[in-house]
Amino acid sequence: MSTNPAVGASGAAALEARGYRSAGLSRLREIIEREWVFSWLILTPPLLFLLCFLGYPFFYGVYLSFFHREVASSPTFVGFGNFVTLASDPIFWQSVGNTIKFTAAATVLKATGGLGMALVMNQNFRMKAITRALLLLPFIVPTVLSTVAWQWIFDPGLGLFNRVLVESGLATRGVSWLGNPTMAMVSIIMVNTWRGLPFFGISILAGLQTIPVELHESATIDGASTWGRFRYVTLPSLLPVIFIVTTFSIILTFFDFQLVYVLTGGGPANSTHLMATYAFSLSVGVGQLGLGSAVALSMVPVLGLLLVLLTFYVRKD
Amino acid sequence: MAKPTKSKPSRRDFLKLAAGAAGVVGAPWIARHAQAKPTTIVFARESSYVKNFDEHFIKVMIPAYQKATGIKIDYQIQAAGGSAVPQLVSMVENKSGADLAWVQQEWLYRDALVDVSDIADAVGKENGGWYDEIKLLSVDNGKWKSVPQANIGQLMVYRKDWFDEAGVKNFPETWDEFLEAGIKLKAKGHPYGMSMGHGFADNYSWLYPLLWSYGVTVMDKAGKKVALDTNETAKAVDYVRRLYKEACIEDCIGWLDPHNNKAFLTSQISCTNNAYSIMVSAKRDLPDMGKVIEHGLNPKGPSGQRYHALVPVTHGVFAYGPDPQAAKDFLRWTMDPKQFRPWIASGDMYFAPYLHAYDKVSEWDIEPRVKPFHKVLETGKLTSWPAPANRAHGTVINRWVVIDMFSKACLGAPTKTVIAEAVAQLKQIYG
Amino acid sequence: MVGELTWRRRLFGLWLPLAAFAVIALFPFTWMAATSLKTNAELYDPKANPLTIRHPSLVHYVSLLQETNFLTWIANTMLVAVVATGISLLLGTMLAYPLARMRFRGAPLLAIAVAVTYLVPQTLLFVPMADLIGRLKLGNTLSAVMLTYPTLLVPFSAWLLMGYFKTVPKELEEQALIDGASRWRAMTRVILPLCMPGFISAGIFCFTLAQNEFLYALLFLSRSDVRTVPIGVVGELIRGDAFYWGQLMAGALLGSVPVALIYSFFVKYYVAGLTAGAVKG
Repeated sequence: MSTNPAVGASGAAALEARGYRSAGLSRLREIIEREWVFSWLILTPPLLFLLCFLGYPFFYGVYLSFFHREVASSPTFVGFGNFVTLASDPIFWQSVGNTIKFTAAATVLKATGGLGMALVMNQNFRMKAITRALLLLPFIVPTVLSTVAWQWIFDPGLGLFNRVLVESGLATRGVSWLGNPTMAMVSIIMVNTWRGLPFFGISILAGLQTIPVELHESATIDGASTWGRFRYVTLPSLLPVIFIVTTFSIILTFFDFQLVYVLTGGGPANSTHLMATYAFSLSVGVGQLGLGSAVALSMVPVLGLLLVLLTFYVRKD
Repeated sequence: MAKPTKSKPSRRDFLKLAAGAAGVVGAPWIARHAQAKPTTIVFARESSYVKNFDEHFIKVMIPAYQKATGIKIDYQIQAAGGSAVPQLVSMVENKSGADLAWVQQEWLYRDALVDVSDIADAVGKENGGWYDEIKLLSVDNGKWKSVPQANIGQLMVYRKDWFDEAGVKNFPETWDEFLEAGIKLKAKGHPYGMSMGHGFADNYSWLYPLLWSYGVTVMDKAGKKVALDTNETAKAVDYVRRLYKEACIEDCIGWLDPHNNKAFLTSQISCTNNAYSIMVSAKRDLPDMGKVIEHGLNPKGPSGQRYHALVPVTHGVFAYGPDPQAAKDFLRWTMDPKQFRPWIASGDMYFAPYLHAYDKVSEWDIEPRVKPFHKVLETGKLTSWPAPANRAHGTVINRWVVIDMFSKACLGAPTKTVIAEAVAQLKQIYG
Repeated sequence: MVGELTWRRRLFGLWLPLAAFAVIALFPFTWMAATSLKTNAELYDPKANPLTIRHPSLVHYVSLLQETNFLTWIANTMLVAVVATGISLLLGTMLAYPLARMRFRGAPLLAIAVAVTYLVPQTLLFVPMADLIGRLKLGNTLSAVMLTYPTLLVPFSAWLLMGYFKTVPKELEEQALIDGASRWRAMTRVILPLCMPGFISAGIFCFTLAQNEFLYALLFLSRSDVRTVPIGVVGELIRGDAFYWGQLMAGALLGSVPVALIYSFFVKYYVAGLTAGAVKG
């Protein structure tokens, strides 16, 4: 008889002693123990939940995108009509381009910045724990509120940036951070990067801390330089972490809505309209629920394509 | 062999259990449908720019109504800045939510509102009649679907001290004078800040009146033909481009509704188009600035006319509610002068009623610089003017078709191109 | 780090970059703190320094706490975040465990289906979601958001946990089964307890996203006493086009600094959890 604590010394014996409590119960237990039965039993509650709360809205959303459906009126089937309308809508294509630019730029900045932050934090110094928590603050504070603060930071006259630029003599007048279309895009990328960088930093730091010291030591013994060690030991070991975190981040950034909604409303002249904000404004502002759903649905294949490309790129290495 | 420790549950036990369960689940349902009269009415309204207005409602009117009828009003303040419309749309779609509300963008869901013609007719008769213009919004196919409460006046807000300094003693009468003054002021470091971004009030309140004063409208009266494509439009676009480049602060092209408030209060601009909120904030926080702020009317254009844009506040009752009649009774009660006059006064006449009986009431003298808001009613038009305020118009507003025409021109696009793009979009929207 | 540590190396390799990151991450907070302690007059003064306070005042904190339901909003937000996180961890585990450790027909297909759920944007779901909540008569209840947030969180926590579950060796489970334990016992008594860091890691991620959520809260919570911090603050401290900046910033700080302090306790687990999940995943 085993003494495995999970079962108890008398476990198996107890089973035998009880014999057939009732024929059905023991038979039932046997069935449950089968790998696939057990798995599906455990999977059922979450799957039911997701089907009900995620599946139903999702399919309803997809369904809506094939209809011309205005608020408080009945739907008419239009097949791919909404998508055809969008294909000839210059604002739609502008939002697609904006979303891709925004996601790509912010992700690259966050990944490299996060890597840098992680490398720096991977040293020993006092107050490390507090620093780690403080550096996470941009990620923790509710987006709506930090974006409200950024409105002021971008203010043309009193904002921190322009005050520093002008008073240090770097520029004669401030930059129009939210008025100039190019700068507006730069601004939203900046705010998103600021918010997400700590997430990358802390996660990559986690990865760094699992690389066995022996790997570094043997590389040094073999004559590798600091850069060489970084390239052949550190970076490859970090790749899985970076991949997971980057994928999460791309998805969340691609769907980002709050930031633009609060900071620019999609302006000036639609230069910061993202697909998420455009979908929202079509559904709610214009009252075209079908069209708005079509825009939202279009996000999925674009994002899927980006992720597939990323996966191939990473797997190739 | 061990004996079973529990007897098999009997059928009777099961029935008892089922009945109990049904009772627990069913009781609330029964209770809801057995109610003869509601004890609460839910009233959703976007937060008022003037805090006193909401406070007056909460502290004076709600208790008064409760005392008179026993019904409690659940006042749900909706967030400003574009959150009200998503909530209203959501309520209409799900057929649940508030009983009555400030029905912003009501063209989206007029069919979901009950007929309130009886209230509107009675109130109109009692109070000297309605301003005609607002009927274009509230009346749908001969029936009143909402009861107009008041207009939020939008005027030119300016720094009298800086204007005097620049030698402009009276507020400019025409747009050309306005530009000249702006050039002088910008040279002194006090540019204008005219909002042209994706907001809903401070951009529409000067760009549309400007267009109208050049003799142009967006659509024809029937709302079927695009009327934007004229030489006058080109002149208006060219003017705005000049105004932006020579008199305005660079940032204003992306401004949403709150940005011009911030810029004005931080002494960065000398003039903008806004509601009373700037003066309210200044009087409260910057008393010295508060003394030198004035309101001016929109300038006249080549047509010799001046115009203003109406920003209406209308209240509607939802058909899906459990007791629309109770909501209607409450609405009628709020419009009775006994309640209405103090309510309007608590906002310093920021909200100007669309009823002629209020044209000359003494409340206008509380703050003399608010008097020009009344002129807004005389020359004010809905943004859809002269076309009906319907869904297509709503689409144009929410896509900022005309606003972007101006802002793209300011950013460098040729006049012909931006007008053509706007016309194409309008044709596609109006079909 | 391997190598000699001279003070110059320490300066350029640690202190300067660290200071740079700290400044970048925290400068908005210094502005927020300064603004929350300034009177409006000083805030609007164009000549004033944005970061220094000449006449500090607690007036914004006082009015935030006295004139709004701020404390209620904080309580609501914490409650919702904790419950939503709990539900998401539970369901995420139930989803991740079989996919990570069991072999059964349909597993690969299911894994792909679950992966696809990450790709669903909120802006596609919000209209039908509002309809669903309306039908269930959950409008203006915290349950509305407690039930809808997991739809955003379960896919991510399942993925994080899957990576973590895979790292526990199969031998442990097999040994338990040989010793007569049921699969359920093996799962709950042997394997899952070893995964605490993974749970904490996923938990922190879920908690952050939950207390930050805006769109569903906006649509479902319109009564002041059920609002969460983002909605409450934005709803009642922005009146039309007038922002109550001081109170907004006070609210932002009071809403986030306690959470950051709590995080500082859990951060080392967060690190451990993400690590194991990622490296083997």
